[in-house]
Amino acid sequence: MRLEIESIDIKDLQPGTKTYAENRILSVDLKELEKLILQDSRIKSVDIHLVYPGDRVRIVNLLDVVQPRCKIDKVEADFPGFIGKMQIAGSGRTRSLRGVGVLVSNPCTNRKYSAFLDMSGLVAEMSRYGGMRHISIAPDIADGTEERDFEDAVKIAGLKAGVYLARGAEGHPVDDVEIYDLDIPDLDCKSNLPRVAYYYQLYSPQHDHLGISDPCFYGADVRNLWPTMIHPNEILDGGVVGAHTVRALDTYTIQNHGVVKELFRRHNKDLIFVGVVCGVANMEPVTRTRQAVMASNLVKNILGAEGVILTKIHGGLPHVDLALVAEECEKLGVKTAIFIQPLISYGTLADTLLFNAEAVNLIITVGATMERIKIPLEADRFLGGTAETKIYCPDPIVQHAGDPLIDVEQFLIAGVHDHLGGSKVIVKEY
Amino acid sequence: MGADTMGGEKLKVVHYLNQFFGQIGGEDKADIGFRVKTGPLGPGLALQKALGEKAEVLATIICGDNYFSGNPEQAGEEGLKLIEPYEPDLLFAGPAFAAGRYGVACGAICKAVGERLGIPVITGMYQENPGVEMYRKHAYICKTGNSARDMAESIRHMTELALRLISGERGMHLVSRENLPKPDENGYFPRIILRNEYTEKTAAERSVDKLLAKLRGQPFGSEVILPKFEKVEPPAPIKDLRVCEIVLVSDGGLVPRGNPDGLSGRGNLRWTTYEIDTFLPENFKSSDYEIAHTGYFPVQILENPNRLVPVDVMRDLVNEGKIGKLHPAFFSTSGNATVSRRCAEMGDEMGAEIKRRNISAVLLTST
Repeated sequence: MRLEIESIDIKDLQPGTKTYAENRILSVDLKELEKLILQDSRIKSVDIHLVYPGDRVRIVNLLDVVQPRCKIDKVEADFPGFIGKMQIAGSGRTRSLRGVGVLVSNPCTNRKYSAFLDMSGLVAEMSRYGGMRHISIAPDIADGTEERDFEDAVKIAGLKAGVYLARGAEGHPVDDVEIYDLDIPDLDCKSNLPRVAYYYQLYSPQHDHLGISDPCFYGADVRNLWPTMIHPNEILDGGVVGAHTVRALDTYTIQNHGVVKELFRRHNKDLIFVGVVCGVANMEPVTRTRQAVMASNLVKNILGAEGVILTKIHGGLPHVDLALVAEECEKLGVKTAIFIQPLISYGTLADTLLFNAEAVNLIITVGATMERIKIPLEADRFLGGTAETKIYCPDPIVQHAGDPLIDVEQFLIAGVHDHLGGSKVIVKEY
Repeated sequence: MGADTMGGEKLKVVHYLNQFFGQIGGEDKADIGFRVKTGPLGPGLALQKALGEKAEVLATIICGDNYFSGNPEQAGEEGLKLIEPYEPDLLFAGPAFAAGRYGVACGAICKAVGERLGIPVITGMYQENPGVEMYRKHAYICKTGNSARDMAESIRHMTELALRLISGERGMHLVSRENLPKPDENGYFPRIILRNEYTEKTAAERSVDKLLAKLRGQPFGSEVILPKFEKVEPPAPIKDLRVCEIVLVSDGGLVPRGNPDGLSGRGNLRWTTYEIDTFLPENFKSSDYEIAHTGYFPVQILENPNRLVPVDVMRDLVNEGKIGKLHPAFFSTSGNATVSRRCAEMGDEMGAEIKRRNISAVLLTST
């Protein structure tokens, strides 16, 4: 399977009467984009704004961040299962716009965790999105629409907006082409390089809002996913998207998946990238064990891996599932490297481990994503909500987006941490 | 007037020494209480020299090692009262090198002053000094040699760290930008906290590098060294329940509505007690409670808190004479992604309180 991602570096963004790109400037017909989003009857209206680095603006109620991308050589193939027809993602040509993003807000959310981004001040400095230009979209719910149904609509509106922008850049010279070419059935069996797989924990149902899982895999939710093998290109090219909250993870992060890209970069040089096994975190110990045993079997006996990198999702519980998969892999003789996320900044690194498995002895600290930080208010404008929008704090502190100082955990600031290994953050004892 | 103006511009420093370095006497004077000398003294002269024009050592607080280490908490408070009037910007203590009692004293005075005045507190110790483990959380303890031969170097080192801490510079190596120097580069013992630090390589790059080393059988450098858990021996069973007093303890996060004690729903570090008669009477109202715990669905417990804290059953058992007494208070905490270290500390704290109340057994209910 061969995927070519053709990137265009966008240096500026402006409203226009037509959507097109010229000299790295993307003009957007906001009316046309609005019309496109309003095609969904679950959306009554939508606020669309362009935001720029240095703007004194705080974007709240973030549900997703999307990199504008579209398929060049296939029809109805963008984010298959979500907006495109069901087909396997990851082959052919994809146009990708760099330096620009879609910030997707759900102003009607009742969720406890509400992510945000500032375009100036400390947050802008910390976030990889702070230096980019964005289109902020914030749809309003149509009468009679169920809360969860509306969330799906908002998510899809963000994906559609991303596709729309990338399509608009047709004809613009390409700055960079990345090629992801991996033919798993024809891998070099005689190579002396170690065979390395990736175990991708896709989802955890632990925070399912109103008890319903978020669709994030070809349009479906994966709460009951059996361990499944996929091609890594499927991840990069729209087969997988973020859940309905930004918690150190969003669609943009998946489109630029750190571990997948690194394994590709080292493929045939330092290792043979043999493929990906997906799984989920589980709520029941019996299921957890069954899934871990099955996943390790795929890694060892189907992909034939000698080593595997395992990444996790969200918070505490998924550590347990992930460690169990790693333990089962080690039992089968597959060497593991496991990502963890210390949940609290008190203690030594060893104190924060949520599993006790001697064989799982190579641990990567992807970031203490729940590290607390106090953010002074820089913004005088709020998008996706208002100055009264609640900002979550684990202590019983009630705080709002317009407060002079908010006390937050970093995972709710979009673009600071990356569960998939793309950020240059390590956790150290201080 | 000149001196006053200069004092206003310079950082104000107080220095703590024991009886020996404070030039009062040796072991024979170790029982003396606190005294205050104006200006620097002994090692303080080197400290003043290292601080130069930036800061002035206004006073030296001296105390005997036995006096201090006999009751470090109380002595720390006593020392704090003497230090407070100087309104210092920085406190230095020692360095204590390998001297155990002196190390404890330096740590305790730093703890009292740091907690109350919120200023940087700096001391120095040799790695084996018991003061390191006791007080590293509460002070910047610079690594020193094991004897006073290392004095000049240690003072220089402590001064550099102190000036850096007070400089107000942004820590660009940290995601939080806090002014928190790296422990290894600045030679102090880590203070048992974690911080997100920027590094050269992404987590993805590091994971591939390290996994390849592991596959080659080379040292791979895990970013977390696995802890060694101690085995806890269960105590002997209760011989006769009919004469024993049982206390209910739960980590399910049950608190009165409004969560007056501020337990955190995740990563909680606190525990508290509630009087059962008022907290969970027989005619309780569901609406009076909330759950400070984000790790489970609390619906059933909010309907009836006895499902988490079985007061109803215990009352029955007491009435039936099967159990001697139900302790009138309930111990509540929230155990959700809390670090094992703090769990152990809370266990010790609760254990001491339970012992003090002469309770014979604990019923621990979880979620």
